[in-house]
Amino acid sequence: MIREEDATGREHRDPGIVSLPEEPVDEPRANRAMFVLDGFDLYFGRAHILKGITLEIPSNQVTAIIGPSGCGKSSLLRSLNRMNDRVPGMRVEGKVLFEGDDVYGQSVDPVTLRRRVGMVFQRPTPFPMSIFDNVAYGPRLHGLAKRSELDRVVESSLRDAGLWDVVKDTLRKPATALSGGEQQRLCIARTLAVDPEVILLDEPTSALDPSATTRIEELLQRLAERYTIVIVTHNMQQAARVSEDTAFLLSGELVEFGPTDKIFRAPDDRRTEDYVTGRFG
Amino acid sequence: MIAARPAEGAAGRARTGISLGRRVRHRTAVVLVWLSVAIVLLPLAHMFAMVTSHAVRALSPKLFTTSTAGVAGGLENAIVGTIQLVVLATVAAVTLGVLGGIWVREFASPRAAFPVRLAADVLAGVPSIVIGYFGYVTMVTWLGWGFSLLAGALALAVIMLPYVLRATDLAIGRVSEELRDASTALGATQAATLRRVILRSALSGIVTGALLAVGIALGETAPLLYTAGWSNYWGLLPSFTHNPVGYLTYVVWTFINQPFAEAHALAYAAAFLLMILVLLLNVVVRRVIVRHTEEAR
Repeated sequence: MIREEDATGREHRDPGIVSLPEEPVDEPRANRAMFVLDGFDLYFGRAHILKGITLEIPSNQVTAIIGPSGCGKSSLLRSLNRMNDRVPGMRVEGKVLFEGDDVYGQSVDPVTLRRRVGMVFQRPTPFPMSIFDNVAYGPRLHGLAKRSELDRVVESSLRDAGLWDVVKDTLRKPATALSGGEQQRLCIARTLAVDPEVILLDEPTSALDPSATTRIEELLQRLAERYTIVIVTHNMQQAARVSEDTAFLLSGELVEFGPTDKIFRAPDDRRTEDYVTGRFG
Repeated sequence: MIAARPAEGAAGRARTGISLGRRVRHRTAVVLVWLSVAIVLLPLAHMFAMVTSHAVRALSPKLFTTSTAGVAGGLENAIVGTIQLVVLATVAAVTLGVLGGIWVREFASPRAAFPVRLAADVLAGVPSIVIGYFGYVTMVTWLGWGFSLLAGALALAVIMLPYVLRATDLAIGRVSEELRDASTALGATQAATLRRVILRSALSGIVTGALLAVGIALGETAPLLYTAGWSNYWGLLPSFTHNPVGYLTYVVWTFINQPFAEAHALAYAAAFLLMILVLLLNVVVRRVIVRHTEEAR
C-alpha cells in the first residue's frame, strides 16, 4: 500500500483532500464522485469532438467507456487529465470537476493534476532506460531522490503491478527487453509509483495477446480497491468483464451511462443495444 | 527470403506454385542488391588498401614524435593541430547545433522554423571553399586574427553546424508522441520531458549527426587553407589568434605534389591517420552511446 506509506512527494496535494476520512472498502456502492462532467464540450479547431457530456465517475471502481472508433472516447479520457492541451485549437466548454476542482479552471495546474490522475496508453511506452529507472521516473520528477526510498517505491509499485517476481533480478536491464504484456504492466507500475488517485487507461490491452490481456484485467480489478479506474476499450467483452459502470459514446455524444450489467442486458437506448449486440461498430 | 520453400516430398509440384517470372524477378533483385553492396564496398576497400600500402614506409613512432620539416620529418604538428581545430570546432558546432535543433523542433512556431531549416539546408550545400574565403575576409583580415586556430576552427564549425542542427531536429522529431505523452502523463513539465526522455531517445540520432559532421570537418582542406594557414610548430596551449596551425589534410594536399618519395609517404600517412581517426571515433562513440542509452546510471 504505497498510499499510506509514501509520505514523500505528496507535499503538492491539497491537505483538505488528504484529511478526508477513508471510505470503508467493504461498501463498494458508497463511492463518491471522483469526476463530475457537466455539459462538457470539446473542440479541436472547428471539429466538435465531445458534445454536452454529463456524467459522474465514481471512485474506487472500474468505469468503462465504450463506443465505435472515432466516437471521442479517447478524447473524453484525455480530457480528464488535460492531455488534450497540446492539440492545436483545443477549446472546452462546460465543466469537468475533479474532486470538486474545475480541471480547466485557473486554480488547477495541469502538471499537478496529471500526477494525481495517471494514464496508461494503448501501446506500451517504456522509456529508453532501465526497468528501475522507468518506475523511478515519476518519483524522481517529483523530488524523491533518496536511494532507499526509491528502492521501496519501485518495489512496491512493481509488486502492485504483479511484475516484481518477473523483474526483481533484472531491474538494471533495459525496459525495452520485456515482452509487450510485461511492458504494459511496467507502465502501470510506473503510474502507480507517483501515487495517483485515478488511473486512466486508453485501450491498454489492444496491443497484447489474450493471456497478457487477462493478466491486465485481473490487475485492474485488484487495483480498483484502492484507485479509481477509467478504461477506454474497443472490446465489449472486456468492458463487461472488468467494469461496474459503462458509458456508451457515439459521435461525441454520451448515449447512455449506467451499471455495466444494465448497459449490456437491458439498455434504455436503441443505439446502445445495436452497438452491444454487434449490429454496428 | 521471399521465395517460399516448397514442402518436403511435394517439392516438384510446390515449385510450380511460384511462377517462373516471379522467381526470375526475385533472383534478379537479390543479385542487384549484392551488386550494389559490392559497388559501394570495393572502392572503399581498394582505397584503404592503396593508402595503407603507400603509407607503410612512413609509419613509425617517429611520425608521432617529430614535426614536419620542409617536406620531410613526422606529422606531430599536423596531428595535434587537426585535433585542436576539430575539437574546438566540434564544441562550437555541437553546442549551437543541438540548441538550435531543439529550438526548431520544440519551441519555434512553424513560421519561424521554416526559414531556419531552409538556411541550414542551404548552408550545408555551400561549397566549403566559399566558407573558407568568407572566414578569410571576416576573421583573418577584417578582425585581424591572422591565420589562426580560432579562425580555422570557426570556419569548420560553420561547415558542421547545419549537419548537427538538422540531425538534432530530425532525431527529436522521430521520438514517438507516445513517449512524450507517457512522460507528460506522469506529471513531467515540457522541460523535464525534453531532458529526461526526448533527448535521451534522440541521443543516438544526434550523435550520429555530430559524428558525420566531425568526419567532414576532419577531412576538410579548403576552408582551412584560407583560415588556419600552416605551421611546422605546435603548442599544447596554443594562442587562439595570430599563430597559424598545421593540420593533416594540408599534408595530403601539398606534399603529394612534391617530387620526393618521402613527401608522398607522409601525404599517404596523413590520409591513413585521418581514416583511422574517423573509424575509431565512430566505433568508440557508438559503443559509449549504446551503453549510455541501455544501462541505468
